[in-house]
Amino acid sequence: DRQTLMAVLQFLRRSNLRESEEILRREARLLGDDLRGSVATVASSSPGVAAVAAVPPGKGGARAGAAGSLPGAGGRPRPAGPRGLGGLCLPQPRGLSVMLGHKVGGGIVVEDQPDVSAVLSAYNQQGDPTLYEEYYSGLKHFIECSLDCHRAELSQLFYPLFVHMYLELVYNQHESEAKSFFERFHGDQECYYQDDLRVLSSLTKKEHMKGNETMLDFRTSKFVLRISRDSYQLLKRHLQEKQNNQIWNIVQEHLYIDIFDGMPRSKQQIDAMVGSLAGEAKREANKAKVFFGLLKEPEFDVPLDDEDEEGENEEGKPKKKKPKKDSVGSKSKKQDPNAPPQNRIPLPELKDSDKLDKVMNMKEAARRVRLGPECLPSICFYTFLNAYQGLTAVDITDDSSMIVGGFADSTVRVWSVTPKKLRSVKTAADLSLIDKESDDVLERIMDEKTASELKILYGHSGPVYGTSFSPDRNYLLSCSEDGTVRLWSLQTFTCLVGYKGHNYPVWDTQFSPYGYYFVSGGHDRVARLWATDHYQPLRIFAGHLADVTCTRFHPNSNYIATGSADRTVRLWDVLNGNCVRIFTGHKGPIHSLAFSPNGRFLATGATDGRVLLWDIGHGLMVGELKGHTDTIYALRFSRDGEILASGSMDNTVRLWDAVKAFEDLETDDFTTATGHINLPENSQDLLLGTYMTKSTPVVHLHFTRRNLLLAAGAYSSQ
Amino acid sequence: MEPPKMASPKSAPKDAQVMAQILKDMGITEYEPRVINQMLEFAYRYVTTILEDAKIYSSHAKKSSVDADDVRLAIQCRTDQSFTSPPPRDFLLDIARQKNQTPLPLIKPYSGPRLPPDRYCLTAPNYRLKSMQKKVSSSAGRITVPRLSVGAVSSRPSTPTLGTPSAQTVSVSAKVGTPVSLTGQRFTVQIPSSQAAVKSATPTTPTVQNVLINPSLIGPKNILITTNMVSSQNTSNESNPLKRKHDDDDDYDNL
Repeated sequence: DRQTLMAVLQFLRRSNLRESEEILRREARLLGDDLRGSVATVASSSPGVAAVAAVPPGKGGARAGAAGSLPGAGGRPRPAGPRGLGGLCLPQPRGLSVMLGHKVGGGIVVEDQPDVSAVLSAYNQQGDPTLYEEYYSGLKHFIECSLDCHRAELSQLFYPLFVHMYLELVYNQHESEAKSFFERFHGDQECYYQDDLRVLSSLTKKEHMKGNETMLDFRTSKFVLRISRDSYQLLKRHLQEKQNNQIWNIVQEHLYIDIFDGMPRSKQQIDAMVGSLAGEAKREANKAKVFFGLLKEPEFDVPLDDEDEEGENEEGKPKKKKPKKDSVGSKSKKQDPNAPPQNRIPLPELKDSDKLDKVMNMKEAARRVRLGPECLPSICFYTFLNAYQGLTAVDITDDSSMIVGGFADSTVRVWSVTPKKLRSVKTAADLSLIDKESDDVLERIMDEKTASELKILYGHSGPVYGTSFSPDRNYLLSCSEDGTVRLWSLQTFTCLVGYKGHNYPVWDTQFSPYGYYFVSGGHDRVARLWATDHYQPLRIFAGHLADVTCTRFHPNSNYIATGSADRTVRLWDVLNGNCVRIFTGHKGPIHSLAFSPNGRFLATGATDGRVLLWDIGHGLMVGELKGHTDTIYALRFSRDGEILASGSMDNTVRLWDAVKAFEDLETDDFTTATGHINLPENSQDLLLGTYMTKSTPVVHLHFTRRNLLLAAGAYSSQ
Repeated sequence: MEPPKMASPKSAPKDAQVMAQILKDMGITEYEPRVINQMLEFAYRYVTTILEDAKIYSSHAKKSSVDADDVRLAIQCRTDQSFTSPPPRDFLLDIARQKNQTPLPLIKPYSGPRLPPDRYCLTAPNYRLKSMQKKVSSSAGRITVPRLSVGAVSSRPSTPTLGTPSAQTVSVSAKVGTPVSLTGQRFTVQIPSSQAAVKSATPTTPTVQNVLINPSLIGPKNILITTNMVSSQNTSNESNPLKRKHDDDDDYDNL
């Protein structure tokens, strides 16, 4: 095995068995030439020492082990597996470094004999610190002189190389070199990395790195780059010719180069997709099958009603969420191939009250306004006054009867939006007095003395960052900086459960569209799936490099989308907790997510002011909506998916034409294979309207069942 | 919002200016003016805590002066205590893998509100009713009000310290004959400690002692009682005619 071979070579050198080392090296090189994939040998200037570099072809060709010919290697324990092991650099005179080529990918640390283990420890790359600047500027020069078509792609290398070289200098405690390196090159980086660079500039000592989880994760995870084969060959040839071994080391250790065959990408295409903390997404990360279809509506007998034309439909298939492009249409017998099986995840059964609710929903849907570019929705704005910038979360029930606000003073306030007041249930003593058989028992259990428009719920000990009503309007969830998620009853207006699991601020929470499950995401970089009757989470979705700032359920409740401060959006499968999609392209932390009602598309909004549209099935970015100038905190599709509304900190609500944005989607084979398409610059065409508020940032958007748009925000006087 | 101006050196002290510069370097351009004060206070508190800890460590190691190692140790200990960071990624991936292996539990139908077992909910009452005691026959006209306290005075058994009952009784009632307004509030009644008889026996007087109050002043719903652990006193009071009667408890508790 390659690793073993290199380890032996080292051992021999350290024991000063130069001749045997030479013999072994010659033999190994011979064997290396036979390997599939390209093996390049670099002759360094010093006599007798040759560096053997095996280039990973990205797919990991099988290597014929050279083990058979290794002298004296019998007793050595085999390495545990391929690992992104740093290129071995022995402290040697300048200009010499012996490198190990190794397979990219995998994550198991090699265990080896104690005398070489010290050298093999993954992070102690001891290239000469003073040469780092030279290496970097050499690479810069090369890339700037390369052909235009390759330059854009190769420029992607700058940022990860810069960060890794800087972190290496800091880690190995070369503080002054690190500082001068930073000063010299940080201005060259792309503008959208400036925030990261600012954080980096404050990390000047090794101790600073210890507490910073994000930076540690960055160092251990691989930054993914997508480069076309031609550009990659160019780069490889250059790096191996020029003895830029240090850069080659870093490229191999910290970067994952996803090579594709085809035309090199343009700067515009690249700019659209890059920006996240871990580079782009590997193509195979987005290849898993996702069931993005909607679950079939259950069949039940709808009570016949004069006004309700849908009531005739015996199959009970309500047409409230008619998907636009669903070829299955309203045939309830045929299974949508893209829809998950009904029992893929256990869902609560439909209660009588739920059925009544569905009937109401159908009636409202019949009266729904059909929106479009000619027929824009009316917008009703709910302004929270006197909140003193303390409004941190808002939610509105599905039938638009109640609105809840979470505040920085740790209270949760529920208002009734309709004339019907909020009542709590009578006390036990009074409940025993009422007649249980009467028809209006549900009204009788309510205590008239407690009727009020506003109910305040106390319990949290920190600002409330997320709120969510349950679909049956019986429960309310709120998550807070104190690390708990609380379940409140909307019948007694008291707190029922406190779910403890995140020990750090929880930034967002949401009930599943069918109730019973809810998801929460927080500062500990994971999202958790809970059920109301389990005090511990059912699933933990770990993988983000930074805080999870936004969590949403897919309409079929089988998938969860999480947006994070590491600028990626991930889609997780509820059934087994796997990450099935990774979407990169935002240049700032993501604060809003919205699934289209047909389940096929996802819209995301971030602090960079762009709304990105993603096709879930193919895992591609299909649209970019530019127009907002500040963070987008609210995104919502209209009930039939014709209009996308976005609300932002720049005090505007903008309406976009969703039908047109998803209309001409030609996803031919090339696109899906390589994963990038040319985004048309059509933001202006898609923008249907911009509505300014009076210095009120928009925090929440909600389409009522009849397609009236409700918006909410707190008036801020500056 | 405009960042606070640093251009008035007369008003802004030097460290405030430094703090403003730090905020600017870190890219924070909009903040309330109070933030600088809070940051300065945090910096001062943090540094003094560290230095105090470092002094303790250095004196423990019998060094003559505080050196860098002591400071480093102090920082490390404090970091583990107060500035914890979320768990590292590999740990999270590990527990996620474990947790995600178990299949999703099936949902029992028709089970009412789906909540965790009661001990994990917050639905239990957060008060406890005092147990009913046998009604001891009281001398006429005397209704004793149970101990009314705001704080944790319960552990100090005051009744045994009331030495001579009868003398006590008389003096107390004399004192408290003056009407005390009892409408609608919680109150603690302080018996002035000039009752020498009591004082001699008591090491420290709790702030609340038994009170004899004219019953006509008490309406049934006027007094809110905060409960505490008085059961220990109950038993010790058995024989003491001055002891609290518990009949009134029930009335008050059923408000």
